[in-house]
Amino acid sequence: MTSAMISTVSFQLDALPPGLVMIVAAIALPWIPHVARQIWMLAAIALSASSLMAGAGVHAVWHVLGHDLLIYRSDALTFPFALIFHIAAALNVIYSWHDRKWSEHMPSLAYAGAAIAAVHAGDLITLFFWWEATAITSVFLILAAGTDRARSAAMRYLLVQVASGVLLLAGAAVLASAGNGIGFDKFDFDGPGAAGVWMIFIAFGIKAAFPFLNGWLQDAYPEATATGTVALSAFTTKLAIYALARGFPGTDMLIWIGALMTALPVFFAVIENDLRRVLAFSLNNQLGFMVVAVGIGTPLALNGAVAHAFVHIIYKALLFMSMGAVLHRVGTIKASALGGLYKHMPFTMVCCIIGAMSISAFPLFSGFVAKSLTMSALGDTGIVWAYLVLLFASAGVLEHSGIKIPYFAFFAHNTSYEKTTFAEGEAPVGMRIAMGIAALLCVGIGVYPDPLYSILPYEIDYHPYDASHVVGQMQLLIFATLAFVALIRFGLYPPEIPSVVLNSDWFYRRLAPAVGRPVLAGVMMVWKSFIKVVTGYCDAIWALIERVMHAPITGPTVPGRAVMVQTALLALILAIGYAFAP
Amino acid sequence: MVSDDNALKKLGSGFTRVLLAIAVVLVVLEFIVHRHGEVALEDIPLFPAIYGFLAFVLIVYAGRALRLVIMRREDFYDD
Repeated sequence: MTSAMISTVSFQLDALPPGLVMIVAAIALPWIPHVARQIWMLAAIALSASSLMAGAGVHAVWHVLGHDLLIYRSDALTFPFALIFHIAAALNVIYSWHDRKWSEHMPSLAYAGAAIAAVHAGDLITLFFWWEATAITSVFLILAAGTDRARSAAMRYLLVQVASGVLLLAGAAVLASAGNGIGFDKFDFDGPGAAGVWMIFIAFGIKAAFPFLNGWLQDAYPEATATGTVALSAFTTKLAIYALARGFPGTDMLIWIGALMTALPVFFAVIENDLRRVLAFSLNNQLGFMVVAVGIGTPLALNGAVAHAFVHIIYKALLFMSMGAVLHRVGTIKASALGGLYKHMPFTMVCCIIGAMSISAFPLFSGFVAKSLTMSALGDTGIVWAYLVLLFASAGVLEHSGIKIPYFAFFAHNTSYEKTTFAEGEAPVGMRIAMGIAALLCVGIGVYPDPLYSILPYEIDYHPYDASHVVGQMQLLIFATLAFVALIRFGLYPPEIPSVVLNSDWFYRRLAPAVGRPVLAGVMMVWKSFIKVVTGYCDAIWALIERVMHAPITGPTVPGRAVMVQTALLALILAIGYAFAP
Repeated sequence: MVSDDNALKKLGSGFTRVLLAIAVVLVVLEFIVHRHGEVALEDIPLFPAIYGFLAFVLIVYAGRALRLVIMRREDFYDD
């Protein structure tokens, strides 16, 4: 038995899965001094990236108990995600250069490593392992903020993330028992083990922040530290987009879901006062574009989803970095308490505006060259309503990320800050370098998209810069901006109000407890009376035993206790005798 | 402080002027470039401009209305 088991456990290893080396390197971080630690992390990321050279194929297999765990599979879909995850990880290291403590660097590096390893999982069990690893590592980035709010948000975040993992594992088990194997490839809703496919779909949907499964994102991300939120913004949700693109390309339902995702957060973002939470809503809206593209499922659309994820990670990180720099210096990120920062933080302001123009998809910025793919693919399908929703959502992106973020942080009105606030300059050097690199990438990809197009999963001959397309997009953006100017000038734009905007996390933060507590109280009452009855019987039986044990049965020298023990032993021997009698 | 406010105001009106200039150029270009959209509806003259403007206003007003329903005081979740 044992030898048979051992013989099924074997490795076939051409290369270690990328990301793993980052997790191993993260373990050593507490013992490495500051600065050397940052270089160590960059080296680990570079080493991990170098394993991407292995090219397409299955490079590491673990045969366990009759299953093949493909722990390193790479192809045209994994490569762009792996590349941008490495870039984001390196940007995080540079951005958090000023942080002398190891406590946040360790989960940050391990989290990035887990996400990269997850992308290279060729089977559902390996995927599950790394899927949960991203949850467990990233929660420390939220906890690191050290506030009570962050602690509660972190616990809610962890519960939701782990629930996603459990669904994924359950789905894998259902599929495996239905004879589908555990391979991670395109799923079939109509095949055997359909329930498992649905579980996996919802597991992916939770991490991709589908409508009503999205509460954790806006709840938890803005509670992390200035640097932590930047790291969080890159990996989990884009891992989910990768997983959807791998498992559910061309699933019509995703067009509906994605369109809702692009439109709904727009209305929440316009009234949200916490600027990092505005960016979290914006992140949700951007995921919607990618989900729609996956739902269309044509080569052009899937290229759109991947290109969008790629550029989105950079400009979203840039926006979170700029807001992180503001938070780092000013100590708050509430729109109602900010304004006029363009004088104090001009470099951050320029970087923020570049991020804002990229996400709004202005021509010559990265968002334009990526979003155009999806919009063209959607136009080709002839689903006009979805096209109009996405066009509407594009105006929404401009509203909250393009205008609201830079406007309320850097302009709006003059706010007086403490004299000491900017004593050390506008932001630490590392933050500025990271923002500068991200801003250059946003413009670089926007001006010259060919390198990005060349790494997309499908070969395409696509030219985003035709006059018609540029004029159309500029009309949309410029006239929407004019609407903003008009609303501000006529005093019609709603002022920022210190407040909380309810989101789908309300269902489990308020509704569930409100309904659950009385129900729980009722259940507890029934339970307690049941226990009372049971203990009543127990007490009676116990009293009887006590009486028997203390009463001398065969005379004064043999106490009842000894008789009880003998009786019990005899009963046991009798039972064994019967059980093993031939 | 007063000069700061003036600087901000000047920045604002400068921005508005540039924006209006671009808008005028775009309207002119609409009738020079043969603009065609991804869907037929987009081929209506100045469709993206009108759609963008109206969408923006709708979003802001819908947001204002939404405040009545889903906005709570800042310490709503703190207990």
